[in-house]
Amino acid sequence: MIALNRPLARRRFTPYLFLAPALVLLGIFVAYPIASVVFYSFTEYDIVRDPVWVGLENYERLIDDATFWKALTNSLVYLLVTPIIIGLSIALAIAVNRRLRGIHLFRALYYVPAVSGSIAIGISWRWLFDTNGFFNGMLLAAGIIDEPVQWLADPAFVLPIAMLLTIWAGIGYYAVIFLAGLQNIPEDLYDAARIDGCTDLQTHRHVSLPGLRPQIVFVAVISSLAALKVFDEIYVLTNRTGGILDSGVTMVFYLWRQAFRLSEAGYASAIAIALLLVTLAFSIVNVRILERGSERD
Amino acid sequence: MATIEAAVSLVRARPRRRPLRTAAWYVVLVGMAVVTVFPFAWMLLTSLKGPNDAIFSVPPQFLPSDPTIDNYVRVWNQLPVARFFLNSIVASVALTILGTLVTALAAYPLAKMRFRGRDAIFYLLLATLIVPVQLTYIPSFVLAVKVFNYYDSLPALILPNLAAAFNIFLLRQAFRGVPNELLDAARIDGANEIRIWWHVMLPIVRPSLVTVAIFSFVTSWNDFLWPSLMLPTMENKTLPVGLAALQGVFSSDFRAIAAGVTMTVVPILVFFIAVQRYFVRGLAGAIKG
Repeated sequence: MIALNRPLARRRFTPYLFLAPALVLLGIFVAYPIASVVFYSFTEYDIVRDPVWVGLENYERLIDDATFWKALTNSLVYLLVTPIIIGLSIALAIAVNRRLRGIHLFRALYYVPAVSGSIAIGISWRWLFDTNGFFNGMLLAAGIIDEPVQWLADPAFVLPIAMLLTIWAGIGYYAVIFLAGLQNIPEDLYDAARIDGCTDLQTHRHVSLPGLRPQIVFVAVISSLAALKVFDEIYVLTNRTGGILDSGVTMVFYLWRQAFRLSEAGYASAIAIALLLVTLAFSIVNVRILERGSERD
Repeated sequence: MATIEAAVSLVRARPRRRPLRTAAWYVVLVGMAVVTVFPFAWMLLTSLKGPNDAIFSVPPQFLPSDPTIDNYVRVWNQLPVARFFLNSIVASVALTILGTLVTALAAYPLAKMRFRGRDAIFYLLLATLIVPVQLTYIPSFVLAVKVFNYYDSLPALILPNLAAAFNIFLLRQAFRGVPNELLDAARIDGANEIRIWWHVMLPIVRPSLVTVAIFSFVTSWNDFLWPSLMLPTMENKTLPVGLAALQGVFSSDFRAIAAGVTMTVVPILVFFIAVQRYFVRGLAGAIKG
């Protein structure tokens, strides 16, 4: 940075002018809403009429609300998709990181779910898992089951199927990230490992995994934040109900249902604050790691 | 970015003299491809089935024996699918162009200028990455109805999403890679900062801009929850919201639903295949160690 013969005042304001549009927008659409949600969480509010102050009532209700705890538990269980996605997408990246004929086609195919949108893939999965759907058809034909399984009508299956959907849709996307990381690892390291007599598996453990550290951190942060916010999959798979006995209800789904189906925006705001606290608690560590990774370059 | 391209092209493949091994890899790759593509293939096949084809049977019938485009015609006639497409295109293109500009503007001083509050602003931006966007939907809904009056129109999808902190972060990384000497040279030539931004910075980080643009486009194209809250009128819906409505309209008409899903997935796939190169390259550049 060198100072030039330019009026000092103008130079001093320049950075803020560049930042102004983004900061104004973030102020209106992020900062203000957060402040409002905090306020609404202490009110009874149906979005139409003015909010009425009720103090801690919403939070007291939250503590005694079994559905809220169910939603919180489901959202935390949903975090299990993160390690699974990381493991599988690294494996996939290693698999496609080689020169085979048609490899580009495969890479593109694996990416299909990530770009086709959660609603489209959610609908296709809903029909695959329908009681009269493809999977029951196959399982019945193979004689593995005698009766159709009530996949999406069984409280034990709703959340796992949604998680499976998230994993299936995410692997291709995250594998592209890991693939890029693999291709930045110097080939010499692999040569050295081979000369030292490492097996393929050992090579990947001692060369690929350490080399992928920035990508692993990134994917861990992104996919776990996404898991805490899951909504679309649940919405489509359960046809807006949240599943039988609320078995698929997540934090965001519960927030949405209370605010926009049941017009309880005050109570929903308390749920939103709980979601924020969970996400914050979970992210403090993550963000530190992300920052450290990004400041190194 | 040049280094990434170089790195990618440098990926050396060892000569393979083990056909069995190669075959085994193909089995893995094909198996994975089947798992990935199957739900879409099933939708496509179902969408082509005529009334004489079973959609539920044991074992399932794969190929339509009586193929027809009737299902597509029905969906097209009952729902304003063309409007869904148009709305999605308008909202996504507007968001992509304006959003890329806004975030590129914000990223420049964060990367290349020293000023009071820079770190504070940067950390605040990072913090917004953590905040679940759904948290803001209740107040944003109120703003849309009572302040901005854009409820049930496309600006409701564009304005709140313009300043994506993630994109600012990504572009800041890209700007930081531009040598300071270049900027100093431009400053000595008397260029002001906005000219430097437009004529020096933006051309150099073009690959990152393309990445941000594609990210924005795909994210916006697939966004569902917020558009579903904002667009109650059928004619105003975007594709994902229209798709969800399709399930309501054709509740158990699986053939029509399959046709609707296929119709909406194909264009985005074509688009993605066209820009795939940039997408992959951008992801690679975004997360270097």
